[in-house]
Amino acid sequence: MRKWVRNRFVFSIPSLILFLLFTFVPVVITIYFSFYSWDLLHPMKFIGFKNFKDLLSDNWFWNSIFVSFKYTFLSVPLIFILSLILGIFLQEEDRFSKTFRAFFYWPYMVPLVAAGTMWKWLLSTDTGMINAILSKLGFSNISWLENPHLALLSTVLVQVWVLTGFMMMLFITGLQNIPQELHEAAIVDGANKFQLFWKITFPLLKNTSVLVIILSIAYCFRNFTIVYILTTGGPGYATTVTPLYIYQQAFSSYRIGYASAMSLVFLIIIFFVSFFAFRVQEKESGEI
Amino acid sequence: MTRKIVVIILAIIFMIPVYWTVISSFKTLGEIYQYPPTIFPKHFSLEGYNSIFKNMDFIRYLGNTLFVAIVSTIFTVFLCLTVGYSLAKGTFRGKNFLSSLIMITLFITAEITMVPLFIIIRKLGLMNSLWGLIIPAVFTPTGTFTAVQYMKDIPDELLESAKIDGATEIQIFNRIIVPLSKPLIAALSIFSFTWRWNDFILPLIVINESKLYTIQLALSSLQGQYGVAWNEVLALTVLSIVPTLIIFLLFQNLFMKGLMAGGLKY
Repeated sequence: MRKWVRNRFVFSIPSLILFLLFTFVPVVITIYFSFYSWDLLHPMKFIGFKNFKDLLSDNWFWNSIFVSFKYTFLSVPLIFILSLILGIFLQEEDRFSKTFRAFFYWPYMVPLVAAGTMWKWLLSTDTGMINAILSKLGFSNISWLENPHLALLSTVLVQVWVLTGFMMMLFITGLQNIPQELHEAAIVDGANKFQLFWKITFPLLKNTSVLVIILSIAYCFRNFTIVYILTTGGPGYATTVTPLYIYQQAFSSYRIGYASAMSLVFLIIIFFVSFFAFRVQEKESGEI
Repeated sequence: MTRKIVVIILAIIFMIPVYWTVISSFKTLGEIYQYPPTIFPKHFSLEGYNSIFKNMDFIRYLGNTLFVAIVSTIFTVFLCLTVGYSLAKGTFRGKNFLSSLIMITLFITAEITMVPLFIIIRKLGLMNSLWGLIIPAVFTPTGTFTAVQYMKDIPDELLESAKIDGATEIQIFNRIIVPLSKPLIAALSIFSFTWRWNDFILPLIVINESKLYTIQLALSSLQGQYGVAWNEVLALTVLSIVPTLIIFLLFQNLFMKGLMAGGLKY
């Protein structure tokens, strides 16, 4: 104990206990519970691999994985492009930039429930402002949240609204770290603005870009609240992302064991996606 | 010039949901459901806000949320300072392993582990208790890394000379680390408060009794009912974002730079 005080390990203990209890243990017991059948009321029953067999033939589960991927791969490019453009436009430390950064960053601080509610109200078919404007312009109403093809796109819009400002700040930090001399030299050599961006700025932003992509993927993959508020997964299962499907199985159908098995599969997918992202980052940053 | 026009247009687009919510929250119930909707309200009305205070236990929800946010913040600051000191200035074996282990928490969030989290919280007897929203959430990897980064910059010589003067580890922590970490404590407090104020997943799986609702949970359950009273939903939405707006405006520089490397200086 005295040694632990001397090498300061003792100061890690409170955090370590909470880390073990609420991050490490959950992963372990997910594995354990995935071999059981449990509805919270009756005693647990060991059922071997049955949950995993059921899962293989559960089309809605695989559909939810597909929806999560679609959601992520629609959101990430939009967030990337928009935050890069805003980062470039607002990188100076002048008054204009400082003021307007706040407009894009603030949505990141808004509670997700409130953000989802605001967008639900904005996109509402009969009472929303978007349709009000469309009808003033002579177009017919659009069912943003009820049309199976548009609903996912609507949730993506909210995700873009929430995350863009945060990613913009990462780009601004990255842009401000690029030595000014490089730009000046290129201008002396007669480079135009587009050449300057594609040949010099963008390649030097590689590390920031990779970071933005990794963080965006992580955020979008675990999205639950936006979809829960905006569409509760509907219409049908069109916007049921995996965390929402797991939630429904666990807390509406009370299939705790089955939901654990699904959580385990989803954890493994998340692990591979983030592992892949980390490897890419290591490779990329190794080159600079 | 094109730069400014593009930025202003995008800023207007970004503010449309907020405009529509705020403007609608001041409409009468009749005008809210009017078709086609009015872009500007005809009559200014506080109907929605009044009915929140009349039909809902808003003050109680506010109290619950403030309790959770403030108590969590105190714990989070304590945890971040201690673990930050340990990982930045510790000399124990496995320090780096511990740092990378904690990194995992960035990816394994409550959205992904809500089922096992629910089981653990139930086992601990924290269901339908505000402590069930506090204890599982007070350890934060983001806060921990911010603290580690910050404390790495505190010169080792200060700690060494205190040691030579006979100070114990606890004294070093209390008299050197904590006073030098004031900007860190401020940043962690503001972030932690905002995170807990905005939290939704934990309240959703832990709280069933409406007297223990937080504001976010109340806002969500108000929309789960059959026949949603949109005037109340809109007013509650506005009330739930006001504190985050105030905090954001007061500490804008901290939010925009704070948790990015090198933003904090002691």
